[in-house]
Amino acid sequence: MLGAALVAVLTTGDAYAQDAPARGRGAGAAGPAQGGGRGRGGPEAGAIRRLPDGKPDLSGFYNSNGRGANYGLEAHPNQGLTPGGQGIVVDPPDGKLPMQEWAKAELKSRQTPARGYDDPTAHCVMAAGVPRGMYVPSPFFIMQTPTDVAILFERMAWRRIPIDANRKHLPDTVRLWQGDSVGHWEGDTLVVDSTNFNGKPWLNEAGEITSHALHVVERFTPVNATTIMYRATLTDPIVYTRPFTVEVQLIRDPEGEMLEVACHEDNQDLAHMKDIKDAGIGLEKK
Amino acid sequence: MIRRTILAVMAAVFLVAIPAIAHHSFAAEFDETKRIKLTGKVVEMRWSNPHAWIYLDVNNNGKIERWAFETGAANGLFRRGWRKEDLPAGTVLVIEGWQARNGSNTANAGSITFPDGKRLFAGSSNPNAERQLEGK
Repeated sequence: MLGAALVAVLTTGDAYAQDAPARGRGAGAAGPAQGGGRGRGGPEAGAIRRLPDGKPDLSGFYNSNGRGANYGLEAHPNQGLTPGGQGIVVDPPDGKLPMQEWAKAELKSRQTPARGYDDPTAHCVMAAGVPRGMYVPSPFFIMQTPTDVAILFERMAWRRIPIDANRKHLPDTVRLWQGDSVGHWEGDTLVVDSTNFNGKPWLNEAGEITSHALHVVERFTPVNATTIMYRATLTDPIVYTRPFTVEVQLIRDPEGEMLEVACHEDNQDLAHMKDIKDAGIGLEKK
Repeated sequence: MIRRTILAVMAAVFLVAIPAIAHHSFAAEFDETKRIKLTGKVVEMRWSNPHAWIYLDVNNNGKIERWAFETGAANGLFRRGWRKEDLPAGTVLVIEGWQARNGSNTANAGSITFPDGKRLFAGSSNPNAERQLEGK
C-alpha cells in the first residue's frame, strides 16, 4: 500500500513548497534573488553549457523558482488559502506594480469569488501568456537550435522564438495568447521581443492584468550550467503608468522528464467552478 | 516490496521539491472559514483533469453523504509517487480541508490520514494548505 510507504516521509519538509526547483537540484546555487541581484553558481553548478557555435546552450528541462508569483507579482503574505510570495518585481525599486486606477479596480473585481472562474487557465486554456508561463509552478522544456528556441510548457502550451534580429513581427491584426516573439543574442543573453498579444491571459491567479497593447522584452541569461536568470520588462500603457520588470530564476533538472497533460479530458473542475461563480453572482445581487 | 521501496524513495526525493500545480484561485473556489475534517470510505480516486479528486462516503449520523475532495494535478501526484491503484475503494480515510464556497459537499483536501493517524500526503492543489492546517 502506497500509504504505508509514504507516511514516513510525509510529515517533514514543505511538501507544498511552491515554485521550488525540481528535486532540489541547483537549489543551493539559485536561492531567491536578493534585491534584483544575479544568481550565484554553487560549486556543483558548472560552467555555462555551449553549442558548437559558441552560443549558450539553454536546452533542457526546467522549473521556475517563481517565488509565489503565480499568486501575485508583488510581495504578499500568506493570507488564508492564498499562498504568499516574495515578490518578483525588481523595477520599480519599491516592488509595486505601477497600475493605472482603472486597473486597480479591475484587479479588485477579479479577486471576488465570482471572477475566479474567469482566469483562462481555469478553463484549461493552456496558453498562459508571457511571462506567466515562465513562473507558473509547472515545468517546461527548452529546445534550441542556432535558428530557433522552442519552449514546451508541460501545462501551458508552447512558444517558438525565431533567432533572427531582422525578422519583423506579425501584422498588427494578428493577436495571439503567447504573442509573436523574435529573439537575438546580446553576448550570452538571449533577448526576446514579443508583441501581438490578445490581452486575454491573466498574469497569475490573483488576476493581475495585461492588455492587447502589451510589449514584453525578455532576457534569458545563463549564469551556470543549471541556472538561467530570467527577466521580463513589460510595457503596457493601457494598464500601467510605466514599464516594470520581473525577475525569476529558471532551474534546470538534467533528470527531469516531461509528462502529458490532457486538461480537457474528464474535466471535473469546470462545472464546479461555474457553480461557485453562479453562487458568487447570486450573493452579489442580494 | 520492491515497488514499495521504490515509491518511498521516490517520495523522499520528490516530495519536498515538486511544485504544487494549481490553475485556479483557491480563495475563489474554497472558503477558508469553512474548515472541515471528515472520516469516510473511499468510493473512488479519480485521476481526472485538471485536478484529481477523491470521492468519500461519510456517515453523518446514519445518513451516508458523498463528498468530493480536490487534490493536486495528476502529473504532480505521479511525480510524488502516487499511482492509480494506490487508493482502493473502501479505504477509510480522514480528510481535512476547506469546503467550497457554495456550501456543496465539495472541498479542497489539505491533508489525508489513515484512522491510525498515519498521514498520507494529500498532494493538495493548494500550496498553502499545510501552513493553514498547522496554524502557521
